[in-house]
Amino acid sequence: METSSKEEYTIQSFDLETQKLLKTALKDPGSVDLEKVSNVIVDQSLKDQIFSREAGRICYTIVQAEAKQTNGNVFRRNLLNRLQQEFKAREETRKRSTQEWVCLVSFICNIFDYLKVNNMPMMALVHPVYDCLFRLAQSDALKNEEEVDCLVLQLHRIGDQLEKMNLQLMDELFNLLRDGFLLQEDLSSMGHLLLLEILEFRAGGWTLSETAQKYYYSEVTD
Amino acid sequence: MSTHQKYRYENDCKPDENRKKGASRWSHCRKRGADGNLRKSHEVEEPGKCSQSSHRPESFTTPESEGPVSRVKNWGDEVEAEEMRSNVRRDMHRYRRRILEADFPQRDRKISSGSSDSRDSRDSKESPAKGDLETDETTLIRRQKQINYGKNTLAYDRYIKDVPKHMRQPGVHPKTPNKFKKYSRRSWDQQIKLWRVKLHAWDPPAEEGSDLQQIEEIDLGEIMDFELDVECSADTGSQCPTSSGASLSLAEDSFTGTPKKMMKIEDTEML
Repeated sequence: METSSKEEYTIQSFDLETQKLLKTALKDPGSVDLEKVSNVIVDQSLKDQIFSREAGRICYTIVQAEAKQTNGNVFRRNLLNRLQQEFKAREETRKRSTQEWVCLVSFICNIFDYLKVNNMPMMALVHPVYDCLFRLAQSDALKNEEEVDCLVLQLHRIGDQLEKMNLQLMDELFNLLRDGFLLQEDLSSMGHLLLLEILEFRAGGWTLSETAQKYYYSEVTD
Repeated sequence: MSTHQKYRYENDCKPDENRKKGASRWSHCRKRGADGNLRKSHEVEEPGKCSQSSHRPESFTTPESEGPVSRVKNWGDEVEAEEMRSNVRRDMHRYRRRILEADFPQRDRKISSGSSDSRDSRDSKESPAKGDLETDETTLIRRQKQINYGKNTLAYDRYIKDVPKHMRQPGVHPKTPNKFKKYSRRSWDQQIKLWRVKLHAWDPPAEEGSDLQQIEEIDLGEIMDFELDVECSADTGSQCPTSSGASLSLAEDSFTGTPKKMMKIEDTEML
């Protein structure tokens, strides 16, 4: 199987040896140490923000390739268990580095988006994803633009899927966001904007009305 | 995004205006009341989402417990279990559809009443009525696991490459037990056992025995009569599980790799 150009692009951030390892994993997963591959991917996704948002695609391809070739799911199992470890340590990660924390959230959500089980999202990840989003909706996180930005990005990408899996939690999350928007004093103006947009986005059924789209995203001439 | 022109509120925002006074659903969670003043922190803290104090819960969405949860699963296992469940459900839908489709050509069947079709969805004697399916998910998953163990063998791989489905003959070729039919636990477990024993015939040749096998390939004519008797008793074992115990173990012990070649010769003899 040829590495598509999109995958090529995402693995450019790795050193050459690792690139080779990943390319082999995509084509011939049975021949590589899949545990190592999963660690390499998780490590990089915690450091590289762009990678953390796109790594799900590569993971999906490797999972499919392994299933087809050996009928196994060593890669998926290792990936998920490693992800679980990182998830358990998320509070320390957040204290240590906001960048790493938002990368972790992006990556978990990206995996949720891409790695489906019989075309259904993985139920095991629903609560952990919500946990991350709830954490981002806390007041100490909302005051950081970086965290608000991460939060709204994830909701744009997977909000509708999450809502289908658990409506009540989504309602609760949005109650927090409304509260944050209205009551939080140390919210930056960008933070306000991001929250208002996401509130409208969900209210519109996970899409923006044309007028809202124009309001938030069109260029304004002086 | 052109924020500076669009975003008007900035510092002249007066959030308290027009807000309704008094308690709302979330008021006990809020740091400040509707009038903007800090609340006293004596309210009951709801676990998770509304907590503003230093106590941060482990999880906002999963139930809290005092100590370590006894049955903490890892995500790898959980997803595998999910996959197994959804595979079983999908199989069930497919099987139900297959039975329904098979119900329709009833009229045609009467014409050729003597024919025996190995596909059990057509044979009304064998195919369960719609209400007689095994539907208990735990049972189906357990059975599927047992089937997976058998299919995960080299022998099975070699078998399916060796004998395409349309060439399979009942009794001669192993057939995967149908997990959707109603069977007692004993009956099912026995079927699985017999199926797996039959599959052993396709085990990859052991290195020590390879010379022996070559000889047998040549002299099969003489050996076959004797071993055919033993093999037949192993076959009937699948129809009446209770009586097959003794004869089956005999078959198992007497030959380990030859039956495949035995069967092949049988086929050619029969043709």
